[in-house]
Amino acid sequence: MELTINNIDKHFGEKEVLRDVSLTAKSGSALGLLGRNGAGKTTTIRIVMGVFLPDKGTVCVDGKPIDRSKIRIGYMPEERGLYPKKRIDEQLIYLAMLRGMNKTDARNACGKWLNRMGMGEYQQKKLETLSKGNQQKIQLAATLMCNPQIVILDEPFSGLDPVNAMLLKDVIKEMIAGGAVVLFSSHQMNYIEEFCDSIAILNGGKIVLEGRIADIKHSYPRDKIAVASGQIEQIAPFVLQHMSGEVLSAEKDKDNQNTLMIRLQSSDSKAKLLACLSEGGFDVDAFRVCEPSMNDIFVQYTEAGI
Amino acid sequence: MKHILQVLKFEYMGCVKTKSFIISTAIFMALIILLAFLPGIIMSAQGGNDGDEHQEKPVIAVADHVYDGNKLVEGIFAKNYPAYEIHITDEDVESLRAKVDSQTYDFAVVLNDAQNITYITKNNVMFSTHNEKLQQTLNEMYQTISFEKLGVSAKDSMQILSAQMKINTITTGTDETHNYFATYALMMLLYMAIIMYGQMVSQSVVSEKNTRAMEMLITCAKPSHLMFGKVIGSGLAGLTQMVLIVSTALVSLNTLSKNSLPQNVMEFLHFPLSTVLYALLFFILGYFIYTFLLGALSSMASRSEDLNTLISPVMILVVAAFMIVVMAINSGNVNSTMMIVCSYIPFTAPMAMFARVSMSDVAVWEIILSVAVQMASVYLFGRLAAAIYRIGVLMYGNPPKPMQIFKMLREQGKN
Repeated sequence: MELTINNIDKHFGEKEVLRDVSLTAKSGSALGLLGRNGAGKTTTIRIVMGVFLPDKGTVCVDGKPIDRSKIRIGYMPEERGLYPKKRIDEQLIYLAMLRGMNKTDARNACGKWLNRMGMGEYQQKKLETLSKGNQQKIQLAATLMCNPQIVILDEPFSGLDPVNAMLLKDVIKEMIAGGAVVLFSSHQMNYIEEFCDSIAILNGGKIVLEGRIADIKHSYPRDKIAVASGQIEQIAPFVLQHMSGEVLSAEKDKDNQNTLMIRLQSSDSKAKLLACLSEGGFDVDAFRVCEPSMNDIFVQYTEAGI
Repeated sequence: MKHILQVLKFEYMGCVKTKSFIISTAIFMALIILLAFLPGIIMSAQGGNDGDEHQEKPVIAVADHVYDGNKLVEGIFAKNYPAYEIHITDEDVESLRAKVDSQTYDFAVVLNDAQNITYITKNNVMFSTHNEKLQQTLNEMYQTISFEKLGVSAKDSMQILSAQMKINTITTGTDETHNYFATYALMMLLYMAIIMYGQMVSQSVVSEKNTRAMEMLITCAKPSHLMFGKVIGSGLAGLTQMVLIVSTALVSLNTLSKNSLPQNVMEFLHFPLSTVLYALLFFILGYFIYTFLLGALSSMASRSEDLNTLISPVMILVVAAFMIVVMAINSGNVNSTMMIVCSYIPFTAPMAMFARVSMSDVAVWEIILSVAVQMASVYLFGRLAAAIYRIGVLMYGNPPKPMQIFKMLREQGKN
């Protein structure tokens, strides 16, 4: 299954919120939807969910306009949305039935997912009696109960402790492996890198970058080398001397005492640099091309403001 | 449609199962049963007093300076005040005052002159029939004694003077006096129900927004379905409560206090089934007219603090409508021009038309027209509310101004 968003425009009154937004997400993989606060992520998600109609453009599944009565969509909003004063099982069953499940299936799914989240014993409790992290897990159960084909997760990790985060990671990976289309929105870049094959960065209502993370990273020049060693004080003058003209700079990494950042004139000189290091007989712990982190990429594309 | 039913069921159960709903209904029902027992208890207590031979009767002191010890003075007082002991005395006003104050005498009458009487009482109660009765007694006394002087025997004159006409009333329309109590009671219920359940819907809309439950709901069902389900579900919960309360009242009045209530009170409580059915019809119409508006307005609020400002105009309308109709009922003319106009204005129509229908004779076409106006308003308000709701539920921050809402509605209409 393939979810595509084609050339969507959206205005609220005078304000243009989305302009010509296009995205593609395939089943069995996750798409990271990134952007600063107010960039238009939630509006895009709401258009996919059918809460808003776009002014222009379409949302398609496998090339045909999406029929939300047939496609099951699980949505976990950033601003958590459940009734604090109602019993957990009651509201989960209610939401699942609104999504088209019958009562028996809804009850079974409710039991199954609450147990999966380790929340089975709280079924009959009121939501507000649970801690924030546990409420978050209930929210996730509510999202996944209808066995969705499209899963939209908006900041799913906020408020979770490392053990629960691990549980959530497993569940998300399971959904992806199970063939669901996962749209994932988060500001925690490590999670984006962990789950998503592709990303789309929204800035000021426009897509400023879209593609596979690996391709994006690869598109950056591979001329920055990180060398980890206990002898970087000696390595720096050595390479500058032996490869003058090809090595532009060799500086200690700000964040890491034992790492030397070497900038090359051209990425073709990598092999020569490696040879040069072994020639000098240095004890090298690691030698790698320095790729830009997701953080760097995000900041680079969204810094210009909204 | 399926969604509306699901939301309806959830809202209904959510409402009926809350502790506050169960407790308030139970308290209401218990109060009514208690009230139904009360007349019986009071009566039996009074009955016990009556049977007590040793109980001293209250005393009326009469200082006669006019009729010169005429036996008729005591006789006429005794006839008109059977529950009292009549004490003819020649004490002066000061002494009588002291004794009335110390409650030796219940009250005292000083006949200074045939038509000039001093009445001494401890407490002069407003609206009591006491003064009238005294007036009547003294008139009778004056007239009987005067007649006697003219040669008519006291027995004859008393018979003529105290003759009572029996009036048999045949009403061709609705007897206003008859349905007064029922109309009043049902109007009160109507008014309370609209305020209570309207507010309940408002609260529930705001809390869904406030807790962001709306974020999930909105992705599962259309906003209009959510609103209709909520409004109808809460309305049914309200109706359940009303039916429980009214039927408790009817059952307990007809069983527990059937024999203890005086005949005229029982007559007040008897009203035709049609009145109840009209009450139900106008309750449903009135409820929807107001609740749609309240629901739409509450959807604009993000916090319950904003709610009051938003819904107070509607609440004022409810109160105003209630006041107008109550005043009309009390004035005795429920078919005044004001009331006729009010029975075609959507906001006042449910209460005004109900009062008119149950207390007077209203042409069928008038009822149909009023109901039609109300149904059309329910439809229009429902659509308007659904449109506002759609915009409102996803809007956070300060509630918008009326012009902004209008603008957004127009934009939405274009889409």
